[in-house]
Amino acid sequence: MFRKITLALLALTLCCGQAVAAEKYTVASDCTWPPMEMLGDDKQPAGFGVEYIREVAKAAGFEVETLNIAWDGIFGGVATGKYDIVASSTTITEERKKQFDFSDPYYEVLQAVVLPAGTSIKSLEELKGKKVGGQIGTTGIFVMRKANVGADIREYNDVGLAIQDLVSGRIDAVICDDPVALYYVNKKADYAGKLNLSFKTGDPELYGFTVRKGRADLVAKLNEGIKKVRESGTHDKLIEKWMGAN
Amino acid sequence: MPNTENSHSKGNIVMVTDGASIPDPRESRLINAWSIALAGAIAALLALCLFWPEPYREILSYLLPDGVLITFKITVLSICCAVPLGLVTGLGRISRNRFINLLASTYVEVIRGIPLLVQIFYIYYALSRFFLVSGTTSAVIAISFCYGAYMGEVFRAGILAISKGQSEAARSLGFNRFQTMFYVVLPQAWRTILPPVGNECIAMLKDTSLVSIMAVPDLMHCARSFVGTTYLYFETYTIIALIYLIITLILSKCVSIMESRLNYYDGK
Repeated sequence: MFRKITLALLALTLCCGQAVAAEKYTVASDCTWPPMEMLGDDKQPAGFGVEYIREVAKAAGFEVETLNIAWDGIFGGVATGKYDIVASSTTITEERKKQFDFSDPYYEVLQAVVLPAGTSIKSLEELKGKKVGGQIGTTGIFVMRKANVGADIREYNDVGLAIQDLVSGRIDAVICDDPVALYYVNKKADYAGKLNLSFKTGDPELYGFTVRKGRADLVAKLNEGIKKVRESGTHDKLIEKWMGAN
Repeated sequence: MPNTENSHSKGNIVMVTDGASIPDPRESRLINAWSIALAGAIAALLALCLFWPEPYREILSYLLPDGVLITFKITVLSICCAVPLGLVTGLGRISRNRFINLLASTYVEVIRGIPLLVQIFYIYYALSRFFLVSGTTSAVIAISFCYGAYMGEVFRAGILAISKGQSEAARSLGFNRFQTMFYVVLPQAWRTILPPVGNECIAMLKDTSLVSIMAVPDLMHCARSFVGTTYLYFETYTIIALIYLIITLILSKCVSIMESRLNYYDGK
């Protein structure tokens, strides 16, 4: 009797296993980085990066579920296996490569300096002695540190708070990825006419999906998906959809 | 007001608070919870730095001078503001003037009902449309107002714990109400007030870690910034926990020593 039940259960699991053919991975995105990752009107993760990983998954034949995870600690979660992929506008850097594996690049950005309307700079050196804000642990902060121009670097929990402080006049500039800077300068109604994107750094940065060290299988799948998304034209459609009107 | 508090006038009221536990000043044994915790924390910190200089020593040198100084600065400024505020609030709470009493009580009720994190956000971001204060200033304002309310209750309880006969005697000797309070009641009440106030100050030091949301580079913020570059979560937060533990243990011992000095005559 027991054997029959066990067999029946086994058969059932097999059937179910076949029914749920596609593998499911959890993806972490920090939804405070518009328009790349943000919360949509339905309070669900939305944005270029969020849709991009969905398209990649569709193309490579797996499923994803996106979680909204705070940036501060997002890498800790992928290192301990709480989720499989970080899709959060992560620039591929040498430092990060030591700790994590990355997919092929899927987007290219520059670092942009946002200033109050009416002011502008031509180089990072002009930020000497100024208070420059950015999101903690992002490449904007790293660029400022590396440039070492003598600016007072303020690291905020998220870039929105830094922009808020820029608008209220507590800091003099904010450094972040250029799509994000453009979003705040052009698309955010509250800040209309108050901000100016005046300078972009020369070195392009490449976004990649981050996985735990040694997940070559997942990297291969992501790369296959990215390739297909690029070839099918979905890549350009997504850029047009999220960054088009900038 | 609860009369039960009046019956304990010897300064040995058992106060239940959520703060750090102040070591008993009468505890004379060498090995006790406090010394084990402190020796353990220091030994752990030294061992980590000696045996794994990479990355622990690097973490320590990143955090130590600046982060701790800012944490201390915010804590000391907040204590300087919160203790007088607590005293005023406590006096207001037992005031016979209906208006002052209501004002102090409302302040306590309102502040105690709002989480400190929300207060910090409120002063820094929400009020930024009316006036601009720096991160450190809003941290000090938020923490002082929050802890002023809690300390007000401590002061009130401590003052009420002094037997009514004391103030009656002082009044009959011709002291006015102000003199009675400041020359007779408060010096005695201070003995009961000190341990819980010390507790609140230590809790305050721990709560300064909340200010990192305003990009104030305190100890916690330095740690997060370091983690943001190196991704050494375990190592950095281990060090941070040990540093906070060592600081609070030393502070609690200081409070304990002050308590034993104030209770000098109790031992006789």
